[in-house]
Amino acid sequence: MTTMKTTMLVTALTLPAAAIAQDVPAPYLPYQDVTLVVNFPAHPHYDAAIEVLDQFTEETGIAVEVDQLEYLRMRERQTLELTQDEGDYDLIAYVVFSKADYVYADQLHNLARFFMNPALADPDYDAADLIDGYVQNIGVAGGDQGYLPGPTGSLFGIPFGSETSVLGYRTDIFEKHGLDVPETYDELLELACLIPELEPGMGGLASRAASGHQASHAFLLHLNPLGGAIFDEAWEPTMNNAEGVAAAEALKTIVDCGIDGSTTFGPSEAAAAFAQGQYGMFLDSIAFAAGFEDETQSTVAGDVGWALHPMGVERASQTGGFGLAIPRNSPNPEAAFLLMQWLTSKEGDLAVAMEGGNPSRFSTYQNEELNALYPYSATFGEALEYAAPDWRPIIPTWGEINADLGTTLSQILTEDLDIQEGLDGVAERTRATMEEAGYYTWQ
Amino acid sequence: MIQAANRLTPYLFLAPAALVMIVALLYPILYMVYASFLDWNPSQRIGEADWVGIRNYVNLWSDPFFRESMWVTLRFAAVVVTLEMLLGVGLAMLLDRRLRGMAVLRTIFILPMMIAPIVVGLIWKYMYHPQVGIFNRWLKSWGFDTAPFLSDGTWAFWSVVVADIWQWTPFIFILSLAALQSLPQSALEAAKVDGATGWQTVLHIKLPLMLPVLIVTCLLRLIDSFKVLEVILVMTNGGPGLSTEILSLRISRTASEFRELGEAAAMSNYLLIILTILTLTMYLYSKAQEIRSARLRIAAEGES
Repeated sequence: MTTMKTTMLVTALTLPAAAIAQDVPAPYLPYQDVTLVVNFPAHPHYDAAIEVLDQFTEETGIAVEVDQLEYLRMRERQTLELTQDEGDYDLIAYVVFSKADYVYADQLHNLARFFMNPALADPDYDAADLIDGYVQNIGVAGGDQGYLPGPTGSLFGIPFGSETSVLGYRTDIFEKHGLDVPETYDELLELACLIPELEPGMGGLASRAASGHQASHAFLLHLNPLGGAIFDEAWEPTMNNAEGVAAAEALKTIVDCGIDGSTTFGPSEAAAAFAQGQYGMFLDSIAFAAGFEDETQSTVAGDVGWALHPMGVERASQTGGFGLAIPRNSPNPEAAFLLMQWLTSKEGDLAVAMEGGNPSRFSTYQNEELNALYPYSATFGEALEYAAPDWRPIIPTWGEINADLGTTLSQILTEDLDIQEGLDGVAERTRATMEEAGYYTWQ
Repeated sequence: MIQAANRLTPYLFLAPAALVMIVALLYPILYMVYASFLDWNPSQRIGEADWVGIRNYVNLWSDPFFRESMWVTLRFAAVVVTLEMLLGVGLAMLLDRRLRGMAVLRTIFILPMMIAPIVVGLIWKYMYHPQVGIFNRWLKSWGFDTAPFLSDGTWAFWSVVVADIWQWTPFIFILSLAALQSLPQSALEAAKVDGATGWQTVLHIKLPLMLPVLIVTCLLRLIDSFKVLEVILVMTNGGPGLSTEILSLRISRTASEFRELGEAAAMSNYLLIILTILTLTMYLYSKAQEIRSARLRIAAEGES
């Protein structure tokens, strides 16, 4: 097994069997001989999760071996692994858009069979405390539009390492010029171009814009709050309507008021530029917050404030990141469920969050200890009330549409392609892709 | 009977190795050809995929992204190979001298091609960086505006061309230098005796005699430039827009992001067809030139 980093946690194996049998809660007893193999991405949240796995082993007697891979490699590995009759992985972390591929190919266990099993399901799990937008976006499939909850939907994964969008801003710059934190898109766009005038050499709002997925992601970040969507309910592309054009215009304004080279920014470049004091604001995932407060990486530590993703015609922050699922070819699905349940329980979620992970529960964001350690947690918790599960379609054809959209947006940003003309082209090609994939068969 | 057996013996000994070679070489190609006729995504086993005949091949020509990436690839290959050949051969001509320190200089020249392409991409990406890159810092210090090396389509194309030239000109330089140094001295001396100028010697003696090597060198670079991936992936990831989206990147994206393995295989086969045609053409041309050079060499040696 090719791994970037493999962690073997064998605490339980070193403990005397009798001691384990006495201390271990009953639900875990049948799995004392099991060593679970889990596949995690190289991601700060999962680094934090690995830190608490020895606690799981100590409490349950179940050993865990982690195969941690760079996330694209992880996806490739899973693609091969999940088609085998007998798999290597008991539990996998999957990036949100893999949900469509894995569920459609019938490669994940429906979690109902575990939650229905009284020997496995913890009555204190409190699923209602899980952040609803995350569960809908990452965990559920088979309902409305096929990838959302609804009367026919089922749960295939639990959010773990999920993210939403928030607005970071430089408190020192805002105080210096008497600026108000933007609450609406109009205010945001005005400030994005005002800051470079007030602070020559500084960009307004750091944003992704690189050709392909990054430009598409940045566009989608504005599309939902401005009232747009990629498709209507009949799968007709709508990214080229007035709301879509407004979202593309917003992105172009933001990039045009950025620093040189901002059209090549991915998330890391945008975050690095903000952390190096080259921007007044940053609108992206909560995952970057801890880095901005790390004085070894950031020159703006202590000068960053956080606010909700500004409101357009509605308030809608993004949902994305990772979830946990049990492959259909998992050698130990029941024990894997116990680990998944433990990691996403109130206690597990808090333990991972205290190590620097992203909480998946509202209660974790309200935890005083966590808020003392990470003061921005309360704002992030509030942002999650507005997390939009349908901010981008999670369908098998999305990869192709996403690339087309992102490439066209890059042409709009760098080659002055007309916005309406560019988006009309994307809509036309998207319709052809959807038609070929059978989305209009019933029309 | 014994004679016939004797004639067959070497073939019998060679057969197992030849069979292994044929299977090892052909199997992946045949697999790719088979896959190109399927509607196959990575969540399926190949046996579960639907047979779609030539649909993937036909559909590609109505895909504007494929057509554009093919055009970018052709332009990229033509530009880099032409410039690298001119520079590499030119440098070899200049450095084909017995001067002090020349060996060190030659060693320095070949260093770039020893660096991993990913690292080359990173080095140039940071040199082109709008804020901290050395080129823009120079431009600023001289009072000029910064240049959008990687953030403008036209600039980005030429920026990746420069990186490729930097890395691969040494390859042409080495082979050209070796070819120059193996030229028959008699021919060069005869030209000198006949009063040929340096330029005439290059044009009428050196280049014609080097031609077979230059053709092979050019072919190798051409094949490589059609398959270039890592440097561009790291520097621009195909952008801005489609300005640097070469075919290998499109193939990789089609297979991993769009999960269309059949379509990616069809694209790969188009690339294979182009390269095979190029290789055969250059091989035939090279054979013809070899015969011509051999005649020239014999004639030159005869005169001396």
